Amino acid sequence: MKYVQFVNSVLKSIIQKENKLILFGQNINAASCLSGLTRGLGNVNNGPTINTQNSENTLVGVGFGLMLNNTSSIFFMKQMDFLLLGIDHLVNTYNIIRQKEPTASFTIFPINVDSGYEGPQSALNNFNDFCSIAGIDGYSFTNRNDTEQILSKYLVLPGFRILSPSQRLLQKDMLELKVLNKHSNLWYFQYEKGSAASIVCFNYSLPYGVTLHEELSRKNIHSSLFSVNSYSEFDYSDIIKDISKTKKLVLIDDSKSRNRVSDKFLNLVYKTCKLDKNIIIDRKYSEDQYFPRHDQLDIDYMAVAEQLSGKKIN
Amino acid sequence: MNNIKQISEEIIRLRLSQIQVNERYKNGEFKIPIHLALGHESLAVAVDRSMGEEDHLFLTHRNIHYNLARLGTLGAEMAEYYLKDSGIANGHLGSMNLSNPAKNIVYSSSILGNNLAVASGYALGNKANKNNGVVFLVTGDGAMEEGSFYESLVFMKSNDLNIIIIVENNSWSLGTKIDERRCEIDLSKLTNSIGIEYFSLNGNNPIDYVQQVRSHRTKSLENNTPVLIEVQLTTLGHWNMKTEEYPAGKFINYHAGPAPEVEIEKYPLISNSNEDPLFVLKQYFSERELMDISSKILKQLESELL
Repeated sequence: MKYVQFVNSVLKSIIQKENKLILFGQNINAASCLSGLTRGLGNVNNGPTINTQNSENTLVGVGFGLMLNNTSSIFFMKQMDFLLLGIDHLVNTYNIIRQKEPTASFTIFPINVDSGYEGPQSALNNFNDFCSIAGIDGYSFTNRNDTEQILSKYLVLPGFRILSPSQRLLQKDMLELKVLNKHSNLWYFQYEKGSAASIVCFNYSLPYGVTLHEELSRKNIHSSLFSVNSYSEFDYSDIIKDISKTKKLVLIDDSKSRNRVSDKFLNLVYKTCKLDKNIIIDRKYSEDQYFPRHDQLDIDYMAVAEQLSGKKIN
Repeated sequence: MNNIKQISEEIIRLRLSQIQVNERYKNGEFKIPIHLALGHESLAVAVDRSMGEEDHLFLTHRNIHYNLARLGTLGAEMAEYYLKDSGIANGHLGSMNLSNPAKNIVYSSSILGNNLAVASGYALGNKANKNNGVVFLVTGDGAMEEGSFYESLVFMKSNDLNIIIIVENNSWSLGTKIDERRCEIDLSKLTNSIGIEYFSLNGNNPIDYVQQVRSHRTKSLENNTPVLIEVQLTTLGHWNMKTEEYPAGKFINYHAGPAPEVEIEKYPLISNSNEDPLFVLKQYFSERELMDISSKILKQLESELL
């Protein structure tokens, strides 16, 4: 099953259990502009499903107004950069709303435009950086397990948050990974346990981490694998414990921001762990990021294996 | 009961309450910014008296008059301005965002045009939940210039929402008049182009204001439609500032903070024209009667603030 099909199926199963949920956004039922993400949601929704105008600022405010009227809603949005038009509400309105005890849920569900080919729009692909502008709880998800758990816990939970799938992954086969451990708030998940290295993935980079883990395993290098889904409160205790044991960190971050959560994480690692090896796989700033270009990280997995083992591998 | 005596007492109470705030402001007692609404009292009383039990109010940074009208007293509002626990919002909101859900003031925004979208969402919730109330939304001529103003009007009409949009047009935004900052916006044409009925109010006649606002509320409810009322008014409290550059004095429009030349008077009239709601009351009462009403209310306020 493709990523987008799976996310759609989880959305359907949650939404159909709700009595009075308002869904709004453009083309929700047809989902022709959302790559199938919202296809058929209006058919299973027991509340109103509203096809809206192009007014992202107003639509974010509408969600907060609904919340004040004890009415839960989900705002589906084609691209996260469109949400920049709603920043006033994300900051100013939410800072008032968050002072109240929420009885209703408001979730914004924008697609992170990280395929690269949208050019300037794709330069904004760091979901955590975006959420941090207003101190908003936000969750990315990349595989079957974290998608299911994050959506089940947060999609209609009273309060406000942003949940964002990756456009780059929409048409990829859904990753199926076994979860070994997770933060109680689902801020991060652990998928593998090993003693030779700790791979920690940020933003939507888990698929790279999975490939790296597989490549390393083939070379008899057994690593732990984590993915950080939310920046929230910087409680990375399980990950820090793991790095303290392996003393070898491979950090992967596919975001283009100059203000990265992974840098703050690294700061914490440097303060608390004694490292023998420290490999950072990220994007080097380039003006290319403003042009329509592919968004893949070019990773030399063999080179990473050699760095971790400290020897040439054939 | 909406007899002229009660309405007039209420208008004078709002004026005297603001003057009490102003006196403390002049003394430098507040740390937060407060936007007085001297000259806006008739409209606030009309809105308060037009609201049904299920109606709700969304305000701007200049919200003191509506909060006073809905609350009925000054003490808790004054306490909020001092950021005390005993304030309307326990000192958490101050002035520009002051709301009072217990009195159906759901939300006040310090950002121009911000509250239109939130009010739209609230009204959509009313519709979805089959609540009967009308949303009263107060905005101004500055917010008219924001994109969110237009966006929200389109949303309200597209979704057949019961909203009364009240545009307090005082012609000023911060320190600039409309003709200094933009072209004229004909709100009647703008609203009519998207199917929203437009009405205008001016002159501060309290009986007229109550009747008109009530009538438009009924229209919105019966026809499931937003209705826009543009109210021409003057925010009083301006002064002349003498400087070396302007020895004869430069006109300073009141925007926020203390109004330095407004004083506690026996009858707290600020302007001898219809731009002052207290001047308009003179067509209903003698000066002696107005002074008696004013003295009685002032005593009540002073005892509230002890």
